[in-house]
Amino acid sequence: MWRAELRAKTKNKDRMLIQRVKMPELAPGIRVKHQDREVNIGLNPDQAQTEATRCMDCSNPTCIEGCPVSINIPKFIKNIENGEILKAAATLKETNALPAVCGRVCPQEKQCELRCFYVEKLDKPAVAIGHLERFAADFERNSGVSNIPETEKPNGIKIAAVGSGPASLSFAGDMVKYGYDVTVFEALHEIGGVLKYGIPEFRLPNSVVDFELENLRQMGVKFITNFIVGRTSSFDDLHNDGYKGFFIGSGAGLPRFMDIPGENFNAILSSNEYLTRVNLMGAATDKKDTPVLRGKNVAVIGGGNTAMDSVRTALRLGAERAIIIYRRSEAEMPARIEEVQHAKEEGVEFMTLCNPLEYFADGKGRVRRMRLNRMGLGEPDSSGRRRPLPIEGSEFELDVDLVIVAVGVSPNPLVPACLPDLKVTKWGTIVVDEEKMQSSISEMFAGGDIVRGGATVILAMGDGRKAAESMHHFLQKK
Amino acid sequence: MQWATVEKLPKACITFYRKNRFTKTTNLKMTNLNIKYLGLDLKNPIIAGSSGLTNSIEHLKAIEEAGAGAVVLKSIFEEEIYLEFAHEFSKLGPMDNNLEFLDYYDYQIRKDNLKNYLALISEARKELSIPVIASINCITAQEWGFFARKVEDAGADAIELNMFILPTNLSQTNHDNESMYFDIISRIASKIKIPLAIKISPYFSNLGGIIRDLSFSEIKGLVLFNKFYSPDVDINHQKIISSDVLSHDSDYKLTLRWIGMMANRVNSDLSASTGIHDWQTVVKMLLVGATTVQVVSALYRGGFSVITDMINNLEKWMVANGYDSIGDFRGKLSMDNSTNLAEFERVQFMRNFGEHK
Amino acid sequence: MNRIIGKEYFSDKVVKLVVENPLIARSRKPGNFVILRVGEDGERFPLTIAGADPVLGTITLVVQIMGVSSSKLVALEVGENITDLVGPLGKPTHIEHIGTVLAAGGGVGVAPMLPIAEAFKKAGNRVISIIAARNKDLIILEEEIRRWSDEVIVMTDDGSYGRKGLITAGMEEIIKREKIDECIVIGPAIMMKFASILTKKYNIPTQASLNSIMVDGTGMCGACRVTVGGRTKFTCVDGPEFDAHQVDFDEMLIRLGGYIQEEKRAAEIYSQKL
Repeated sequence: MWRAELRAKTKNKDRMLIQRVKMPELAPGIRVKHQDREVNIGLNPDQAQTEATRCMDCSNPTCIEGCPVSINIPKFIKNIENGEILKAAATLKETNALPAVCGRVCPQEKQCELRCFYVEKLDKPAVAIGHLERFAADFERNSGVSNIPETEKPNGIKIAAVGSGPASLSFAGDMVKYGYDVTVFEALHEIGGVLKYGIPEFRLPNSVVDFELENLRQMGVKFITNFIVGRTSSFDDLHNDGYKGFFIGSGAGLPRFMDIPGENFNAILSSNEYLTRVNLMGAATDKKDTPVLRGKNVAVIGGGNTAMDSVRTALRLGAERAIIIYRRSEAEMPARIEEVQHAKEEGVEFMTLCNPLEYFADGKGRVRRMRLNRMGLGEPDSSGRRRPLPIEGSEFELDVDLVIVAVGVSPNPLVPACLPDLKVTKWGTIVVDEEKMQSSISEMFAGGDIVRGGATVILAMGDGRKAAESMHHFLQKK
Repeated sequence: MQWATVEKLPKACITFYRKNRFTKTTNLKMTNLNIKYLGLDLKNPIIAGSSGLTNSIEHLKAIEEAGAGAVVLKSIFEEEIYLEFAHEFSKLGPMDNNLEFLDYYDYQIRKDNLKNYLALISEARKELSIPVIASINCITAQEWGFFARKVEDAGADAIELNMFILPTNLSQTNHDNESMYFDIISRIASKIKIPLAIKISPYFSNLGGIIRDLSFSEIKGLVLFNKFYSPDVDINHQKIISSDVLSHDSDYKLTLRWIGMMANRVNSDLSASTGIHDWQTVVKMLLVGATTVQVVSALYRGGFSVITDMINNLEKWMVANGYDSIGDFRGKLSMDNSTNLAEFERVQFMRNFGEHK
Repeated sequence: MNRIIGKEYFSDKVVKLVVENPLIARSRKPGNFVILRVGEDGERFPLTIAGADPVLGTITLVVQIMGVSSSKLVALEVGENITDLVGPLGKPTHIEHIGTVLAAGGGVGVAPMLPIAEAFKKAGNRVISIIAARNKDLIILEEEIRRWSDEVIVMTDDGSYGRKGLITAGMEEIIKREKIDECIVIGPAIMMKFASILTKKYNIPTQASLNSIMVDGTGMCGACRVTVGGRTKFTCVDGPEFDAHQVDFDEMLIRLGGYIQEEKRAAEIYSQKL
């Protein structure tokens, strides 16, 4: 086999001598001026091939176990080493409908790369699986050659997917391969869900998303926008139209606020609103009608990836001070380390161990100041995390003219509200069998944030794949 | 009698009450049980205290039907919110990709818990004609003010601050601990208009001083004392367990003593709590100077009809002793300012034990 | 889809559009609204569905020209498509047979009031409608309102049509004259605020239909949040109608002014382009 030959070409001990590649990045000074320039520039072919050589093509690849969609990682990497980039891209597409997306936004350091032999056994940096994935996907996109995965003969069975985010997209990608007639219904006017409205251009350009969507279209997936399942048509209507199976991927698009005094003043926004205006509606340019408020002193409350996205967007929109306010310490922030790193390079200030108490506005009702408490970390509670406790008497004030509340999102209540028989948890997430992703209504499956609360793109995709496989079995048995 | 789980008790009590329904309280011709507590008019001094029994509209209605003068709702605990939050957190698996979702989820829990509590207050306000007193228990200063205002907006007639700052932080001085109480009271009083009462524990080094000083702050009533689960040890399983969920008959004595001593030294109402199980103890408390009494354990054990019993017997006792109103005898036996109780007790002690060798 | 098949100018500022959208026409209930977008660069904005014909598959929208988006919409001609149109959104009006209903509509608020008046009348209520505006040009849908009301009072601030005076004066007269079981108020926020204060004085249950700023309209962003009864609600999913006596109108008025600078600037740029 070509893989055996490739393995023999270079000795493992030589492979281990290669240093892990460093992703070239746009300089912080430049990138803060541009909302739409990617920070990570991407590997060039030489870098990619060298990095691919580090992979030792283990006989028992633990990296695959770390991947929620079980990409055949060694196979695609070895294709890169072998110079067959398009074949690498095809390998990715076997299990991952959106490789250019995942290559950019997955927390590989917690998934595949964490399980890499280098990390587990050699205590060295992992093979840069994420960077290589992105390289292969970008290469294919730029090559103009479109590799449409094979699909089974159409079986005429109509399937509906609600929402067009990563969960539904990966579900649709697999179902159409099985031969089903899949229609994805999206409430907004653009397809892609959080990929379009949530993740900024400087991390995931919408054009990249569009390319992957076009792939799905080529495979036969149908998309209908401006369609709210449950409102525009009811589930019963869709049943009557002949849909036999449903996948609910409506996401966690319900913003959460802290409910503190003054939070409804002008220029205090949820991260959803802020990012939707900028990423989906293009509000940063005058060309687009949708406005966005700009601030000189911007505070973002929260410590996750959404908070990082929001604060870095504010910087690019002209903030003189862009501040993260997080009630725990930096080590406990949920955001990817890479994002925190980039944010710091760009000049974001981190006020950790601080928590807002109240907002104050000017005569026109726009926020101008906020009061905060300093926090101390107390004893670990039953979750093992140290509890943030306000330090009495430590209150202080900060001048702000724009505040983004990025403390998390909750599952969108629209679909559960239309289906009284659908079992939901007290948090509003849909209850599903964890292996089958099947809900309490047998022909309805669900995955992604609507099941997990707010989680990651790749987990949503993993859910979509599982749901597709299990719905396929369910429908075939009927 | 072993009480297996406290949670099961309420249902048993209601059933008991409904089966053994006594006739409603009727005010005998001349006897007037009306009093004023926290500036509110109560038709008698017996209050159903804050507990798991004052947590639902059904129970509250039954309590009113049994004749209680007022009711204190179950406490809403800031602590509970954090405990529930931490519990949810502990269920995260090894891939903590839900961390971003759960990181600030305590704010959501707090919103939901508050929503339910406020709904209970609104409903109680609509359905009951006796005063409804909300009870809040916080540990951080700004939360008190926030909760208090929401509770006032929902229609509570008064707020009982369930304040217990356990002195386990050994590095904090007495002074630090105590000034926190006053800070919190000021903070809350500045935000609301309805009257405040504060329920305290007896664990102060200068309890008399604290009671007096608190009574002179913005509060209108002091509830003596809070009852806590005491830790005990299970030597078979070698672990710490809680015991004494309900009070014992003799538990009233500490309250009795302090009400008696402080009734003439305070600038607020005094509400007696802990160990009031029978009508005789109600009379005792009133005699030493309590404005109202709060019953909890008695209701768990005997059902809401205990309240009706107490009222009927109180009246009978008043008639038998020629009293027309509570004011005629309340505080009759309280210690006046000139008596020094400590000295009095020492003398008694020496008299009882001094002769024994 | 979303083809404009009818267009009528009520005045040079207020336009009625009939749009083809069978799905929305079929699922829509009184009180629902849609979110539209005109052009690829357009913003998303809400309009209440003033009427619908499920058989023909059309919905009726009434637009008042106020800024860039409404101008762009009105500039479309019959036969052109609206770029994006989604609905029906919001909770439908709660309609019941209650007795006498006073429907008070200010300015372009009469458009969303029409389907509600119709529904209340069909439910067997006595419907008294007051429609008011600054001047004659801004009075709309009078004929249609008459069809569904037992009595109609028209008022203008300047007296150029109907009676002279504010809508609250007209409302109070009717309230004093007969028992009103429920009141609906729709119009500029400031009008709804004072109408609500009036009906609260007389203890008349009142529903207000709020016109908060929206972006997605599906409950995703919180731009439309209002405080009702001390709690935060989203106009797009919990409303648009709320118990008027519980709405914090002062806060709502502040929030409506959140983008005034940006709106002004956009209007300037747009008028330069024309």
